[in-house]
Amino acid sequence: MSSPKMIQRHTRAGIFIHWFNAACWFFLLFTGLALIQNPELNPLGAWYPKAVRAVFGGGANLLVAHWLVALIWLAVWVVYLFWGMSRFVAPFLNSTFSLEPNRDIQWMIKKNLQMTLGYKMMAKLVKPLGYDGHLPPQEYYNAGQKLAAQGIIMGALVLIGTGFIMLFSKYFFSAADTWLVQWSMTVHFIAAGVTTALLMVHIYMAAISKEERPAFISMFTGTVPAEYAKHHHQLWYEELEEK
Amino acid sequence: MAKQLGMVVDAGLCIDCKGCMAACKVANEVPGDNWRNWIKSGDMDWQAKKRGRMVFQPGNCMQCDKPTCVSACPTGATYKSKADGVVVIDRGLCIGCGQCIKACPYGARFRNEKLKVADKCDFCSSRRAVGLEPACVSTCPTKARAFGDLNDPASPAGKLMAQSKDKATQVVNAQSNTDPNIYYLGDAGLKSWPVKAQMPGAFEFWKNLADPAVKVVVGLTGLGVLAMLGKQLMLKNDAPPPEEHGEEGGHE
Repeated sequence: MSSPKMIQRHTRAGIFIHWFNAACWFFLLFTGLALIQNPELNPLGAWYPKAVRAVFGGGANLLVAHWLVALIWLAVWVVYLFWGMSRFVAPFLNSTFSLEPNRDIQWMIKKNLQMTLGYKMMAKLVKPLGYDGHLPPQEYYNAGQKLAAQGIIMGALVLIGTGFIMLFSKYFFSAADTWLVQWSMTVHFIAAGVTTALLMVHIYMAAISKEERPAFISMFTGTVPAEYAKHHHQLWYEELEEK
Repeated sequence: MAKQLGMVVDAGLCIDCKGCMAACKVANEVPGDNWRNWIKSGDMDWQAKKRGRMVFQPGNCMQCDKPTCVSACPTGATYKSKADGVVVIDRGLCIGCGQCIKACPYGARFRNEKLKVADKCDFCSSRRAVGLEPACVSTCPTKARAFGDLNDPASPAGKLMAQSKDKATQVVNAQSNTDPNIYYLGDAGLKSWPVKAQMPGAFEFWKNLADPAVKVVVGLTGLGVLAMLGKQLMLKNDAPPPEEHGEEGGHE
């Protein structure tokens, strides 16, 4: 296959927002982790906040850097959401939040079995039960991607909400309302943890596993080989064929 | 021994003039209804046969050795200074969540009405920076408060500590002894007022449930991803089943 037929998967705007998003999430995750400094909580040990605060010149600067990047991140997103609402955002939400239970539950189970067991083991163990080794056809996003996207979108909304409560605490909150700030810190931590777990899976699937390599490359070039689309996102491919 | 700034108070000398409270408020620009220090007075014992006597107990943040306020701060915005043992607040890092306020058995902390961050006595850090004693100590007309390094016999407080080690008492709640660094000479007066240190519910939930749960979820996900990576590296030729279209290798 010297020059396989390529089809468009991502727009330039989509590629930009993806990597911008990735950079901000990384920054916010690692600065956020360093904002926790308490022997009973320290997720990575006491050395971590100490080292990062040394780089930023103290905890107060680190806090400013954290919410400054968070605000820039959010501002860019707001612009993107308004500017691309009909073109990118609505279709993205439409497709990520539409699961077809029968097809997608099957896909999730089979895909996970196949990834854990490998194709050979899968053939040996599961074939006798009547499974032919094929996964139900998927749309532009597969069921795993949809679920991850839903989790990350909801996690992001929780992070934004609790983040603003913490940011505004010093400016608009009375002493009687600080219970809300206290719970925001706890919930912010939980949401960051859950989204981090989802993003670890996302990064593995996209950047490390071999099967999704073409999808990873497309996050730079914008295009995937038609063959890849046909096998991994058959319903999307067929839709494109019809057009 | 490490430097530990503290106070040795002779409650018997206090006449409840509130000079320390006024001086503190001015020196530290403490706003509105907020106060960094106090004078506690017990009930007069009218039943006693001998002449009734009221003991006034001046106090402020005790700069505890085991500060529960520090334990309740998730960011380390409040911490015990290694240099002089004073519990300080980084106003830039503090977001005013108020967890430390609830955790203090002495009610020594408050949310500064103006700055909306945690505030409390820091033994007048700005006055000490220019070589002055804390305002409450300087202004006390009866010299009820002695200030200095408790471990240095050359300081006013250290001298009293060295002289009367056995007689000096701490005012503590037995259920949560934070080992405070304000000592009282003789009869300290009212002793039952400190409350049991209480961690806020959100912090307890974070520490006992959210923290371990998130660590397990992220840890297991990490292990899962690593296991997949290991499998990927070891089982190089695990090919997908041939497609119906008869084109193999499409998954490479």
